[in-house]
Amino acid sequence: MPRPAKGPRLGGGPAHERLLLAGLASQLFEHRAITTTEAKAKRVRPLAERLVTFAKRGDLHARRRVLRTIGDKGVVHQLFTEIAPLVADRPGGYTRITKTGYRKGDNAPMAVIELVLEPVTAKRPARRAAEPAASDVAPTQASAPEVAPAAAEDESSPADVPVEATDRVEESAPVEAETATPASAEVEADAATKSDDESGKAAS
Amino acid sequence: MAVPKRRKSRANTHARRSQWKAEAPQLVKTIENGKVVYSLPHRARVVEGSDGVPLYLEYKGRRVADA
Repeated sequence: MPRPAKGPRLGGGPAHERLLLAGLASQLFEHRAITTTEAKAKRVRPLAERLVTFAKRGDLHARRRVLRTIGDKGVVHQLFTEIAPLVADRPGGYTRITKTGYRKGDNAPMAVIELVLEPVTAKRPARRAAEPAASDVAPTQASAPEVAPAAAEDESSPADVPVEATDRVEESAPVEAETATPASAEVEADAATKSDDESGKAAS
Repeated sequence: MAVPKRRKSRANTHARRSQWKAEAPQLVKTIENGKVVYSLPHRARVVEGSDGVPLYLEYKGRRVADA
């Protein structure tokens, strides 16, 4: 359930806030992702997720309840027929807010709020992928703990460390492939000079 | 409308203004393709092409929005 917001209403009054958030939710369902201020994104998130929950229920009563908030029948139709099936397996958390930057005119922190329409991927497989590395370490420790001091170091740190290590390997591997190609020497030289410029800007 | 009765002394003005200080933003340092990149924490980062033109906003390996 949406938690009541503390503090002043957005837009100046309760009615204005309701309309404003309804408009934002409508645009979110129409375009799948919208850019707005952080405050508005955080306020529209519970409303939008609640509407998605109604859409997943899918009956006429749910549709009428959504239509109480969103006036556009076309958007509601999209929500019920296109968005709801995509999030059928998702147990809540239908939106994602990513903070982007600061608006030019008033320096307001901006954010992108988008519908999470990717198929649900269970978190367990990722851990199982990390576990074999740990399980490879563990038997060696069990069989010969004195032989593997490096494995003992791995044992002290939890299973998160191998995951991070694999990520770094993935990032660094394409770089080596790029540097290995002989034709990219000029590109590298340009990139090197530009990187120097950027580092100088960052330092200044 | 309220109107100040007295002129504010130069010392008072300067004392007030001296409290206004700029502070450096806390940045996250990451190494990408052997290059050190600074970015704001918990905030999408602008990815630039090799010619320095901003391409798109990226956060945790996910493309967020166009620049």
